[in-house]
Amino acid sequence: MRSLDLKLVRDLWHLRGQAIAIALVLAAATATFVMSLGVHRSLAETRDAYYARNHFGDIFVGMTRAPRSVVDRIAAIPGVRRAEGGIQQYATLNFPRRVVPVRALLNAVEPDGPNHLNQVTLRQGRLPRASDPGEVVADEAFAKANGLAVGSQIEALIYGRKQNLRIVGIGLAPNFIYALAPGDIIPDDERFGVFWIGRKALEAATDRTEAINSLSLTLERGASGSDVIHALDSILAPFGGSGAYGRKDHLSHAFLDNELMQLSAMTRVIPPVFLLVAVFLVYIVLGRMIRTERTQIGLIKAFGYSDWAIGRHYLKFALAIALLATVMGTAAGIWMGDAMTRLYAQYYRFPFLYYRISLSVIVAAAALSFAAAALGAIGGVRSAVRLTPAVAMSPPPPPAYRAGTVERLGKAAGFSAIGHMIVRHIARWPGRAVITVSGVALSGGLLFATTQFIDSSRTMIDSFFFRAQRQDLTVTFTEPRNASALYALAQVPGVLRVEPTRAVSVKLSNGKRIERTAIESLPANSQLGLRIDRHGNAVALPASGLMLSSQLASKLAVRIGDRVDVEMLGGRRTQRSLPVASIVDEFVGARAYSSEQTLESITRDASPVGAALVRIDPSARDSILTRLRDAPMILGVTEKAAALVKFRAMIDDNMLTMIAFYVAFASAIAVGVVYNSARILFSERAHELATLRVLGYFRSEVGLVLLGELGLLVAASLPIGCFVGYGMGQLMTAMFSSDLFRLPFAPSRASYGWSSVIVLIAAMTTALTVARRVQKLDMVRVLKGRE
Amino acid sequence: MGRVSTAGAGAGGLAFSAEGLGKVYKTGDTEVRALRGVDLAIPTGEILVLLGPSGSGKSTLLNIIGGLDRPTSGKLHYGETELTCLNDADLTRFRRDHVGFIFQFYNLIPSLTAEENVRLVTDIAVDPMPAADALALVGLLDRRDHYPAQLSGGEQQRVAVARAIAKRPSVLLCDEPTGALDSATGIRVLEALAQANRELGTTVVIITHNAGIAAMADRVFRFLDGRIARIEVNAQPAQPSAISW
Repeated sequence: MRSLDLKLVRDLWHLRGQAIAIALVLAAATATFVMSLGVHRSLAETRDAYYARNHFGDIFVGMTRAPRSVVDRIAAIPGVRRAEGGIQQYATLNFPRRVVPVRALLNAVEPDGPNHLNQVTLRQGRLPRASDPGEVVADEAFAKANGLAVGSQIEALIYGRKQNLRIVGIGLAPNFIYALAPGDIIPDDERFGVFWIGRKALEAATDRTEAINSLSLTLERGASGSDVIHALDSILAPFGGSGAYGRKDHLSHAFLDNELMQLSAMTRVIPPVFLLVAVFLVYIVLGRMIRTERTQIGLIKAFGYSDWAIGRHYLKFALAIALLATVMGTAAGIWMGDAMTRLYAQYYRFPFLYYRISLSVIVAAAALSFAAAALGAIGGVRSAVRLTPAVAMSPPPPPAYRAGTVERLGKAAGFSAIGHMIVRHIARWPGRAVITVSGVALSGGLLFATTQFIDSSRTMIDSFFFRAQRQDLTVTFTEPRNASALYALAQVPGVLRVEPTRAVSVKLSNGKRIERTAIESLPANSQLGLRIDRHGNAVALPASGLMLSSQLASKLAVRIGDRVDVEMLGGRRTQRSLPVASIVDEFVGARAYSSEQTLESITRDASPVGAALVRIDPSARDSILTRLRDAPMILGVTEKAAALVKFRAMIDDNMLTMIAFYVAFASAIAVGVVYNSARILFSERAHELATLRVLGYFRSEVGLVLLGELGLLVAASLPIGCFVGYGMGQLMTAMFSSDLFRLPFAPSRASYGWSSVIVLIAAMTTALTVARRVQKLDMVRVLKGRE
Repeated sequence: MGRVSTAGAGAGGLAFSAEGLGKVYKTGDTEVRALRGVDLAIPTGEILVLLGPSGSGKSTLLNIIGGLDRPTSGKLHYGETELTCLNDADLTRFRRDHVGFIFQFYNLIPSLTAEENVRLVTDIAVDPMPAADALALVGLLDRRDHYPAQLSGGEQQRVAVARAIAKRPSVLLCDEPTGALDSATGIRVLEALAQANRELGTTVVIITHNAGIAAMADRVFRFLDGRIARIEVNAQPAQPSAISW
């Protein structure tokens, strides 16, 4: 066996270019797998450990105001392990040198009390002391973004009263892994922060002595969440309970879950593409190798080696490639996983988040590589096993060429002899042509499917930020106001238009299907807040009945004309049955809309104003923001332009990093496929190419025989690649969509162009490097012997 | 026509002349001296046979004459053009315009039919004959649409001859053209070569192990150890049909 192994090592060295090209494709599969599954595990395990250690709640609820004693009643609900009530209060912070209002969410903590749910992990300093009402812990990301440290002082407007806060600690908590200000769709660490303040201090500041407005609880193992929610809602109904919800509706958890879902989608879609290509590459390379070594195989068998010794020899060749791929792919995957994890750490606030290398992930990735290589080797190994020595040592029958249909057309079109050589060779090895075309097409498809995410996010940005949201600012009031507040806003110099908007939390149900959401209303003639469908068209609010986003409609399984039960959460808790008047195909969120009158018929009040949409003169921005910052009735101002900047930055960081990886990987497919096809082509045709040189063809003309065939195959693969990419892109945008975002599939012509150009460049550079071998063709040696 | 002039290669002159041609192959540490200072003059329009044992330098000389290889020392002229100082592109141009090659193993392109194999040359030559005429010259017009795999060895070699003569070359260089053929088939191939010499005035250089073929030559160079050991001039060359082996 040792001499066969020596042959294996030499063969690998001899075919190192091809072996490495296949290994690159397999390594891309391994790397994607190790990266996405590894990051998924790191994130999920870090999250789970964080949740467990800091006692993240299972069920959450807000209410207007309830006596603290209600907590004991809730703790007694069967299935509840621990319940804790608290206060959450928005406040505005005064940064005198900044024109933009900065918001904070204050959370009450028991400084010396028992173990809290949603416990704070301190990074620096200590928790606030009960003795000092001004002490707070600031969240780490906010502190960092605003240059705050232990000892910093901030003036805050809490519940209409100015109060000085002193930071005594920097920390973070599991219910704010992803911290969003209300109305925002992207975290803005400079403008929104989470603070923890002593309970007594917050009770005093908000006139809620021995009262709570929020509650979290954990469940006993195996307890039914929906039963507890039901019980909780009935206990809190008298106190303005706004409807309890589980982790899946918890904003921070939902965003993280969305990310995990996307990572696992990626693990399922992308590595199989690389594995498939690698199977085919191993198949054609090993097939060619066995054809050229036919005589050797016969000889070795004639010496007395068993069929299986030969089969194993060629199988080992494939497995050696898989081994190389595993090493390269694992290294690349770990490096990328680490980079991705660092990116996640910028958006998700964990006390610790690092890419954890998991042996089981690497073993699974290696197993996939080895399986793909072995699968590709089966055909070749079988033919090597089946060759009998006598047959193997006689020369193979000459290849039978025929003029096909394409050619007869070609004859009419005046093909040159070289043209015939190219076309007939393709027709002679149709399987290999199909593999080359489909491999390159998959590469183009993958490129297209990933680059179209840029179009997808652009379309979403355009739809959400430009077509739907026509306001410049969204001004949220500390409590619902009447029309005079709008009038006051409209008087601010530079304000061009003001429109009221309102959102009411509701539970919508259709039989057993229940969804928590909000119904938003706008004036009938609104110019600033439009509902935009996926085709970019504005859809008018119905005069009566509800308009549902298509996501919500499908979750509730309702169509236009069906009725849904609406239960108002909080307030009067009215219940009504309303028809679905229209469905709008939106990208962000699963929401419901109605006219102001319809919403009033649910809330049974005279539409108070919760927030205002404002359009301003851009030159007056700073003075307007300063006025709003200092107005006590205003809780927060969301500036569309700033959100847009953040959103684009997130896309640039996250999506472009990802796309860069995939462009590299998809190019690896094109390189791997074209390199192997070109090398095989070259080795098969070396004799003919040398003959052409002898006959007086220039090197460039001879190179054309090689490049012509490859060029035809690559050209054929480009449209197929766009077609494949269209399907893959659709599948991937669908898999990447969640309750929070639904990515539109809206590929631009540029994406088709870019993916084709990248494939073309990768393919042609590779083909040219092989065609350079024509330079070294030894005419004399080649012509001495029979092929 | 590149840098290759045909002046002096016309009838009556010398097709090739060489002084002190040497060729050393280096493989690893060993040096093989394939040619050891060959001087020669090949008159235009003659049939020349190079005879000699394996490794005596015949093929090396033929390859150098045909512009497939370069000598390590000495000078080689084609007419008035010094081939030894041409670059690769000019040598290619020389082969394309002036030289026809015929090899022992035919070297036809298996994916092209007989006629298409000839067209490979007529596609790029300056003043070729129609491919069909070349095939007619070797008596294979009726097999023009056959692929090499569908032809016998002799037929394949005649296609190779048709391919070589279709460009109306000044020289035909043949390396063991009958080596893989039986005697009757071999003679048909030799007749085709003689016909080209007669009708197109082509200078024909034939390498062979087969001393019988020398009978058809105007001149015979006998090779030994990288040198021309003897030159014989044949006043009365025989017809190929009169040769047997």
